[in-house]
Amino acid sequence: MNREEKLIAKRLSRRGFMGTTAGAALAALTASEPQLLRGSTSPKPTADSIIVIWMAGGMAQTETWDPKRYTAFEPGVRTDQVLSTFPSIDTAVDNIKISQGLERVAKVMDRATLIRTFQAADLGFILHSRHQYHWHTGYIPPQPMAVPHLGAVVAKILGPRNPTVPPFVAVGQNLEIGAESAALKSFHTAGFLGTEYGPFLISDPADATAAVRPPAELGDARFHSRRKLYETLLKDEPVYQYGNDFQRQSLIRSMDAADRLLTSPSAKAFDLSLEPKKSFDIYNNGRFGQACLLARRLVEAGARYIEVTTEYIPFRYWDSHESGHERAEMMKRQIDAPVAQLILDLEERGLLNRTLVVLASEFGRDAITEGKVGKEVKDQSKTPDVMTLPKHYGMHRHFTAAGSVVMFGGGMKKGFVYGKTADERPCTTIENPVPVENLHATLYRALGIPPDYAFVYEKRPIYVTKDAKGRAIDDVLA
Amino acid sequence: MVARFFAVVCLVSGLLRAQNEAPVVDYDRQVHPIFAAKCFSCHSAEKRSGGLSLYSYEDVLNGGRSGGTVRPGKSAESLLMLRVTGENQPRMPLVGPPLTDAEIALVRSWIEQGARRTPTSARAKGKWEPPLTLEKPAVPAVVWTDWSSPLDRFTAVYLKANGAGEPQLVSDRVFARRVYLDVWGLLPPPNELRAFLKDHSPRKREKLVAKVLANPENYAENWISFWNDLLRNDEGVNYHNETASRKSISTWLLTALQNNLPYDQFVYKLLNPNAPTDPAGFLIGVNWRGVVSASQTPAMQAAQNTAQIFLGINLKCNSCHDSFISRWKLKDAYSLAGYFSTEEKLQLYRCDVAQDQYASPAFLYPVLNRTPASGSTADRRSAAAAIFTDPRNGRLARTLVNRVWQRLLGRGLVENPDEMDGEPWSPELLDWLSSDFAECGYDMKHLIATILLSRTYQMPSVPAQAEAPKKYVFKGPEVRRLTAEEFADAIGSVTGEWHVYQEPEPEPDPKKPAPVDAPFVPPKPGVYTREWRVASTSLTRALGRPIRDQVYSVRDSQPTTLQALELENGEPLTHWLNRGARKMLGELPPEPTPIFDRPLPKKGTAPFEIDISHAQKLWLLVADTGSYSPEKVEAIWGGAELAGGDKVTPLSSLKPLDDSGLRAASNPIDLPGANGTGVRVKTPSRLVYDIGGQGFTKLRGLVGIENKDVTSDINPTLRFFVFDTEPNMERLTPVLPDLPLAEEKFNKSPEHLVDALFWYTLERAPTVEEKRSAAEVLRDAHRKKRTSADGLADLLWAIMMKPEFQLIY
Repeated sequence: MNREEKLIAKRLSRRGFMGTTAGAALAALTASEPQLLRGSTSPKPTADSIIVIWMAGGMAQTETWDPKRYTAFEPGVRTDQVLSTFPSIDTAVDNIKISQGLERVAKVMDRATLIRTFQAADLGFILHSRHQYHWHTGYIPPQPMAVPHLGAVVAKILGPRNPTVPPFVAVGQNLEIGAESAALKSFHTAGFLGTEYGPFLISDPADATAAVRPPAELGDARFHSRRKLYETLLKDEPVYQYGNDFQRQSLIRSMDAADRLLTSPSAKAFDLSLEPKKSFDIYNNGRFGQACLLARRLVEAGARYIEVTTEYIPFRYWDSHESGHERAEMMKRQIDAPVAQLILDLEERGLLNRTLVVLASEFGRDAITEGKVGKEVKDQSKTPDVMTLPKHYGMHRHFTAAGSVVMFGGGMKKGFVYGKTADERPCTTIENPVPVENLHATLYRALGIPPDYAFVYEKRPIYVTKDAKGRAIDDVLA
Repeated sequence: MVARFFAVVCLVSGLLRAQNEAPVVDYDRQVHPIFAAKCFSCHSAEKRSGGLSLYSYEDVLNGGRSGGTVRPGKSAESLLMLRVTGENQPRMPLVGPPLTDAEIALVRSWIEQGARRTPTSARAKGKWEPPLTLEKPAVPAVVWTDWSSPLDRFTAVYLKANGAGEPQLVSDRVFARRVYLDVWGLLPPPNELRAFLKDHSPRKREKLVAKVLANPENYAENWISFWNDLLRNDEGVNYHNETASRKSISTWLLTALQNNLPYDQFVYKLLNPNAPTDPAGFLIGVNWRGVVSASQTPAMQAAQNTAQIFLGINLKCNSCHDSFISRWKLKDAYSLAGYFSTEEKLQLYRCDVAQDQYASPAFLYPVLNRTPASGSTADRRSAAAAIFTDPRNGRLARTLVNRVWQRLLGRGLVENPDEMDGEPWSPELLDWLSSDFAECGYDMKHLIATILLSRTYQMPSVPAQAEAPKKYVFKGPEVRRLTAEEFADAIGSVTGEWHVYQEPEPEPDPKKPAPVDAPFVPPKPGVYTREWRVASTSLTRALGRPIRDQVYSVRDSQPTTLQALELENGEPLTHWLNRGARKMLGELPPEPTPIFDRPLPKKGTAPFEIDISHAQKLWLLVADTGSYSPEKVEAIWGGAELAGGDKVTPLSSLKPLDDSGLRAASNPIDLPGANGTGVRVKTPSRLVYDIGGQGFTKLRGLVGIENKDVTSDINPTLRFFVFDTEPNMERLTPVLPDLPLAEEKFNKSPEHLVDALFWYTLERAPTVEEKRSAAEVLRDAHRKKRTSADGLADLLWAIMMKPEFQLIY
């Protein structure tokens, strides 16, 4: 090997790329379609499906899963004295306390693994969608190729569980949100894997049925009659010299696949009105709650990867640049009952063990530090040094030194905390930091995918964790 | 020196011997053992130093990262010889004893004899080595009488050599469909198609091609998508970079295509924009906020993209480290970036680790290198532009010719348009076309015409295979698929229902705020447009319109389930066809113009006084046009009052017919100029008032937003409307009536419509069965002679789902 290759080999997992026979690698590299390099042996999966509960906008960890000393609001309190604006509460696990407002989830924390030390990358002046892109693809934009979303990777490698349910479903995020729409669209894609593995998007779960029912202005009758007309016209077509060529067949097959999906019994999973009222009412506290119910129904019907989000819109929902306390209260109310119920329902149906549920956000929040201590970046909040108004009360800055991830089921430990953050400001990670690639490696591990699994595109390997450097966190695996 | 003399003597005597006795060197018994003994420690099949294995005969001929090892018959030019003799340093082998003189002589003989596989094999064909300069090949003799154009003569020779007979040409209707789509991106308008089919003049196809190429707008609005994909150009898409935000080049690009700007000047401008109207956006690139990888700075993006788009070279690998699969090194990418950066010398970063190495501007091919006149940005760019468009840079022409060929025939002469080192299926044809292109002033339309008028292009298309054959043989153009824009524009063409483009209001310059009393400039009306100009939709994205962050040479045209879901069940397509059908039948609801129309961003108020003398009813609308939190916006019709004769009635005293849009609030109205009165409304909202017979002549007041503390949290952006006839909620703002294409006038009876539709979408008449099935759907359930709009929309849909429609045969 020349010096160059030696340098690179040191950085990459040798097995993933160098270790496969040169012949096989070369063959893969010269193919024109994304090929697969299997890398090291696939671990035995402990999960068949994955639900990502995406708390978009930077979920304040000291207001949710990593509560610190509580300071009540009073005019004149110094901002740097406020770590949490809620007192903490007990959970079903002795040594785990979480924030007030999450009482129902507190009762199911004995099924949870709580990581308190997720660390977002240092990307300079913070743009939410850039970190979201990183979290969802494992790669930092800009990239010289279109990288696939986590969901697309899972859909491609594992395929659908049920061929009439889209393997990758994303609920709750409208892609037209003004300024950051383009950035959102750039990672809601299967990229070079091809649109077959892209997300099936449902922006409003109440409207989920609409995604699998004919548009209102078409109606059932016309949906069926125009489909029938299409089939009739195909049959009536004069015979051409081209015959029944491959491209023609592919088009017809894709239309048939779509039709099967839309008319299959599995499509009923999208219809929340079919849920028994008592159950529906627990989830029905808003769009996010309904999305959690949809996620459960889709897992039951056979989806592979489902993402439900509270939605990212700049300055809204978790992205509190002011009135953080009020906002965190509202968000916890939105998520508490549905998330708890989702876990209980999955457990009751015997699905929790093989369904990995991951609740996460692109980074955490702090009242003082924007970025990390020692790597501060341009401030984006106007919180004063001394709080005088209620709108000053809360966590308004983007904190990349610590964040919380809660995982349930799918082979993770139960009632377990991983990682430690400081109890005084800055509440940075002091033990067991978890970067994106290791979190991903852990998720992939549960699904039976090694961290150095690679696609070959444009003759280079693209690993499911960047440079195949992801390492699953053994400590959180049961 | 002495050794070489002896080697030459040996060679000469070896050759003499060969002439007398012809002892052909046996690769397996004589050459392979040398490699095994002296080379395998580094060039085994496993180790592949420099990407080269000398293990098998195929490996030897395939070469490594530096290219082919042997040029059969030309030992002096063979890299293998240059290395083992030490003429190219470092001498090989690096480790262990060098090859003896006898061994060198043997290898040399083997190469001279044609690097044969076995003593009885034919001479080997060396690994394809792409040329740099253009050398116009001699045009071969005519093989088939009618295949007399230079392009066709090359193809004819090729086809004959591959065992094919003289191909038939496609029919006029197939030809017309291809040509209109390939030049204009539009289906052939029926009357033009009819005229073409009826024409019996011998040169009708030439006339058709000349005609379509002579329409600058239709041509430009088609090919702009091709260039947008390559140049990463899109509107209103940015990633919030503070200093180098993305900049559109659409205006310049469209004009360049309309004027058929010669390609070399086109490239020159992109690489060296200096006038204000020049396409600066290309070199600015796509930039995200924050700190980016060293391999993705604007200058490095420029290096990667210029190399890929214009030269067919992939520098992405070697933007982070020396390439593993080609001969390009990290320094090459940085040296090229040096022409486009803001710094004269660029520090190299290997995998984002700073190196103690710097690069000055230098081109990938030393023979074409130019040192910039000075270190200034302008001089460096102009050096780059001169290098790329240097007449000796044959790659410029070849890469473009191959892209256009790929576009028109489905597969390039070189398979991967971004890897122009690949071997074309006819190097002579590629080089002839490229030379011709360069000689004719890099005229894109001349190139397109040359291809379209060739019999090669007019061959019947060949369907794709499920599995690509190991060795490609050209048998004709491939069956292609309509692009997303062609699909969308077909709807516009057939129905007359085009999308509306609303030119965005220019962003106010924060450094030069408009004076407070600046007169209000009403926003421009919308224009009906072809699909390329509007933002991508779920429909066009599903059909392959890319997100233009990457360079796209070829779009993915594979059918997928998600795509089919969008076609089968998507709301955008259903709605569009419903509207389109009604447009065709003249049944679209009217689109009245407002009597008051005022956008209002952020804070502020705007006065209004409207004549309502003829109005029986009034509709007061507030539309949200981009607020982050519309539910928080406190819109108000401040101080609104109706005047007539001498009476003045506050609007707030009237009860609207529909009051759902009213906003309750407890605090007093505190809008400057509103006198503490007004009608508070939600965003969005719609109030309807019945004012008939009350003698009002004027409605006046102040539209405004009450929120005093306008934070970035809300970003209120509204538009206020007043209508005196029922507004069309889909078309509140005016649109200029001009259409991109002349409207087709259809006879609206079911039978006639079926014929017209089949002719427009499929370029043929319906069969008896097709006509029966289709007409049945069109017939209105209650009035048999009339066409049902729903039926028409559904027939349009069914036709457009047919592969016959979506594929270009």
